[in-house]
Amino acid sequence: MFEVRFHGRGGQGAVMAAQALAEAAVIEGNYAVAFPFFGAERRGAPVLAFTRIDAKKIYSKTQVYSPDCVVVLDDSLLDTIDVVAGLKPGGSVVINSRDKPEDIDLGISVKTAAVDATSVALEILKAPITNTAILGAFAKATGIIKLESLEEAIKRRFGEKLGEKVAERNSLAARTAYGKTVIGKSKGIKKLEPKKQWLPTYQELPAGGSLVEGKTDAGLIGPGSFIENKVMGWATFRPVRDREKCTMCLLCWFYCPEGTIVRISDRGDLMTNYDYCKGCGVCANECPVDAIKMVRARV
Amino acid sequence: MKKVITGDHAVALGAKLCRVDVVPAYPITPQTLIIEHIADFVNDGEMDAKFLTMESEHSVMSAAAAASAAGARVFTATSSQGLAFMYEMLYATAPMRLPIVMANANRTLAAPPGIWCEYNDSMGVRDSGWLQVYVEDNQEALDMVIQSFRIAEDKRVLLPVMPCLDGFVLTHTVEPVDVPQQEDVDSFLSPYAPDIMLDPARPTMIGIFMPAEYIMELRRQTMGAVESAKKVIGEINDEFAKVFGRNYGGMIDTYMMEDAEVALVTMGTVTSTSREVVDELRKVGKKVGLVKLRFFRPFPVDELRKALSGVSAVGVFDRSISYHGGGPAFNEIQSALYGMTMPVVNHLAGIGGRDVTREQIIKMFEITIKAGKGEKVNTINWHNTRGETV
Ligand code: SF4
Ligand code: SF4
Repeated sequence: MFEVRFHGRGGQGAVMAAQALAEAAVIEGNYAVAFPFFGAERRGAPVLAFTRIDAKKIYSKTQVYSPDCVVVLDDSLLDTIDVVAGLKPGGSVVINSRDKPEDIDLGISVKTAAVDATSVALEILKAPITNTAILGAFAKATGIIKLESLEEAIKRRFGEKLGEKVAERNSLAARTAYGKTVIGKSKGIKKLEPKKQWLPTYQELPAGGSLVEGKTDAGLIGPGSFIENKVMGWATFRPVRDREKCTMCLLCWFYCPEGTIVRISDRGDLMTNYDYCKGCGVCANECPVDAIKMVRARV
Repeated sequence: MKKVITGDHAVALGAKLCRVDVVPAYPITPQTLIIEHIADFVNDGEMDAKFLTMESEHSVMSAAAAASAAGARVFTATSSQGLAFMYEMLYATAPMRLPIVMANANRTLAAPPGIWCEYNDSMGVRDSGWLQVYVEDNQEALDMVIQSFRIAEDKRVLLPVMPCLDGFVLTHTVEPVDVPQQEDVDSFLSPYAPDIMLDPARPTMIGIFMPAEYIMELRRQTMGAVESAKKVIGEINDEFAKVFGRNYGGMIDTYMMEDAEVALVTMGTVTSTSREVVDELRKVGKKVGLVKLRFFRPFPVDELRKALSGVSAVGVFDRSISYHGGGPAFNEIQSALYGMTMPVVNHLAGIGGRDVTREQIIKMFEITIKAGKGEKVNTINWHNTRGETV
């Protein structure tokens, strides 16, 4: 059995990637299962998806804890998540990054395939949805699946839902990324301190799970604890507002799902606190006078 | 034809293959994909059904009752809070003998709010008169929609049926599913033809007010229908196996029980994972077996007594808690096995959607094996729960 764990962010298509990989494996005559694991659904939040591939029927319905391959759709996740956790000896990592494998520090030195899937996606799909591009890199890095099967699977999955053109472009993204993938070994220097989680026993948990403002070893809990959840690392793009054009209609302020656009009342102005901006682009989309441009946040 | 699809997609295809007439719908995660797929089928002209978008789940079940009483084959789907919101209408539809089929994507019932798998939603309506079956994979989810209509519409039964599938673990998981041919389903399931229905040409009253002089008899009658479902479920399972080549065992399924010394009773997808654990434990010489509790209503009392007659201990997995101590499956199995002497222990796990891992299932077997040897173990075991030791 070959097990894959996908790390992505809500909206990047990790689930779709896991499903397309399963479909490709079935096309090759294997059995395959793919499933997601979300936190609370939220665009930009880290998500996990899994694929299992085997020659015979797979019964296991648990999450994947020791993958043969880890696929990372967004290298900003490396700062906060130990993506190689549980990786089987001899396992590999496929990563969306502008860096060469040798420059990517995963905390252990393992076989690593890198491709700038974001640029491939932006060029071909005109959106930073990297799931099909990264699958091209997966095919090249692992040899578990043929590129043709993958393209066929992408056509089936995307074609049915989004039409032939979209399917063809996604297939091209996979093929292009396949060609651009560089395989090497990662650096194994950094020690990632996994973020502590507050995990009370049932006796410690306040009655009914009601929380008042509180401090724990793992950080703040309860009202106000959001302050610790900076999300700027999630953003591929960030909004830049043109003060001249802005009419102060406040639609962006109203629609921002993170509440990170604040009104500076004494100046009658707005300010975006980038610490809590996940780069979703909702504000730019809502602005009636196109005063907000989304610019690439990470280079 | 094999398709790589989610459990929700499989259920929607099942409804389509059953040529349902009316689908009243209201979305709720993780069921939403079911009605979205059905909406697509109807919109694309692949399915000739009336798709009704309702303003709440209570209205969904009201519309389902009305349509069913008027002679339509009715399908819908819900989950968790949605099922709870239907509560009143669930208790109305079963004694009215309306053969509606509704898939329930099992999801934790708030509080606390969550979206993942737990059985406290469907377990809460186990005494509504609806029949309930729990499935372990997407193929079974599709197949049980088809079988559910046969069971529901059988003149000896005439009760609504609720196929239950694990939220996310099945609803959002893709795996290969053999989608039956329409002709085969058509010959397996004939069009719904009720003897009594609301028809202006032949005035009829359904669901009438009844004073105390009649209600005992009506309850007794409903109980009789639930009882006769047992035989019907077996027959339909066998017929389905002949036509489609997949035999689910009927009321329960067993795995490696022939010479098992200790058994674990499971429901839903944990059964699937447990099959692999049984193989693993068998390899190291542990004679363990598995009983899959498929139907919870009717409850397979005789089948369980027979399947478990030779074992030295029984472990019962539960994915929800009944606040009198253990889980609902444990309570009912204890009562079903009354008079038999082996110890029965409860394994609570996976509540709120926590992953039920191989290791946890191995632990369930270990505890049950100990109990079988006469060693002292806890009767109720909260697996992988902080503050508890098992
Ligand atoms: S400021 Fe704009 S891009 Fe940033 S989170 Fe708010 S709506 Fe999204
Ligand atoms: S939506 Fe546009 S115009 Fe309105 S306040 Fe925001 S930036 Fe200014």
